[in-house]
Amino acid sequence: MRRVRFHARLLALYFAQYAKARLAYRADFAAAALASFLGTAASFSVVLLLFSRFPHLAGWTFPEIVFLYGFSLLPYGLFSVVSSNLWEFADRYLVEGRFDRILLRPVSPLFQVLFESFRLESLQEVATGAVAIGWAVSRLPDVSPLGLALLPLWAVFGAVLYVSVFGLLTAASFWVEDRVGLAPPVFNLMSFGRYPITIYDLKVKLLLSTVIPFAFASFYPTALALRRGEYLPYFWAVPLVAVVFALLNVALWRRGIARYGSTGS
Amino acid sequence: MTALAAAARPYLAFARTSFLNILAYRARYFVGVLTYFFNATVWYYIWRALFHEKGEGATLGGFTFPQMLTYVATGWALRSFYFNEVDRDIASQVREGRLAMTLVKPVDVQAMTLSQALGESAFRLVLFTLPIGLLLVVVYPVLPPASPAALALYLLSGLLSALLVGAINFCVGLVAIRTTSILGVLRAKYLVLEVLSGLLVPVAFFPEPVRKVLVWLPFLHMNDTPGRIWLGLATGADAARALGLQAAWVVALLLLGRLLWKATARRIEVQGG
Repeated sequence: MRRVRFHARLLALYFAQYAKARLAYRADFAAAALASFLGTAASFSVVLLLFSRFPHLAGWTFPEIVFLYGFSLLPYGLFSVVSSNLWEFADRYLVEGRFDRILLRPVSPLFQVLFESFRLESLQEVATGAVAIGWAVSRLPDVSPLGLALLPLWAVFGAVLYVSVFGLLTAASFWVEDRVGLAPPVFNLMSFGRYPITIYDLKVKLLLSTVIPFAFASFYPTALALRRGEYLPYFWAVPLVAVVFALLNVALWRRGIARYGSTGS
Repeated sequence: MTALAAAARPYLAFARTSFLNILAYRARYFVGVLTYFFNATVWYYIWRALFHEKGEGATLGGFTFPQMLTYVATGWALRSFYFNEVDRDIASQVREGRLAMTLVKPVDVQAMTLSQALGESAFRLVLFTLPIGLLLVVVYPVLPPASPAALALYLLSGLLSALLVGAINFCVGLVAIRTTSILGVLRAKYLVLEVLSGLLVPVAFFPEPVRKVLVWLPFLHMNDTPGRIWLGLATGADAARALGLQAAWVVALLLLGRLLWKATARRIEVQGG
């Protein structure tokens, strides 16, 4: 418990420190946030454009589809805020030798790598998603209040799941020198979770529910709010799946670090 | 002719070097085939569901399901060819001061950048676009080009797309260096262009007012124009006009890039560092 409190406090400090530095250049941050929003808005507008023409898609109404897409932006946005260092881990930390500095400090190295810098502007994705959910809820006749209340927490579990999956892929760079770049194709799989899972074949559903369990990050978490009884068991499994992947991630990082030999640079 | 060949030689060397540079990272491209396959796949399922709602043999925005699927497949295959990171490269050169090494070379910076992009595209064509296209054709019922002429015009249009994207990215890179979050701007550019190029959804699905604006912009020529040519939705005079416009945009954006470069070069101060 004390360790959790310690890390939570440290995270708040890291975040405050980074935000301060970033917001020192206010106009520039505003430009970055605006650019980020334009990107999200462009992708979202395609979905609105396409699905607003059809009253139903594979058993889902337009507001439900907006709800799904809107929710998918919450874990994705949170993940984007913290994941920037994972992408550059092999180059920036292992090759350039920054990882040695990390190892000198008495805090979990994975924790430091994740939270040394943030992509603050991705918080707009969380806000955009929340607005979309709000709109959808105003159009939906019957939304479960408990399901809505749990959404933020489930979004955090979803983000933990994303971070863990990409953390596992990143940890591979402790072993494999020639990086083949497994992360990009997996990253693109995230977009599958933005649409109702019913549009996919069994093999895609299986992939998204097992090996790369992104359906637990962005589709199943909406089951309770949208009263989709058939997916409720998956809904309640979300925290478990997130925790299991997080533990796997931590374990793999431990083994990788034990194996780590500095480049000496 | 020999003078022309002599003038082109350094640029061929740049194209060749960039071809060889990315050859060193070829492993990434094997996995990258999957990235493109997944992107096309998600749209396969979305369109399948949408057409399913409409019933067997329905058309959406003037496309049948096989046509739409073909549009998606040829679009992503083309993107794998025309994609380049000229913007990122030029921006980081300016940022990190490496531009000095470029400036001392007796070559035209824009032409050099573009030949590097084309060298990269040549690599991508062989080791990336062809495998991606092959995989998509094997897995999904992609339609063949409407006619031999459609295939020839598609290839021409695809080449123009690569030049167009190179010209656009050169401009974007020069604009992006004025902000401190270059990568953020470039990330947004990808997402916005995926929409405006017609890669995700053909322009026929856009609301009338948006469409009216888009036809006066260069972006549709990245995907919508070649896609419609492959399907035979633009033939004869229509196709000729579309290709003419596409080529005109390439020229216009290259000129814009030159102006931006002049404005940027004047401001650049290379420090001793």
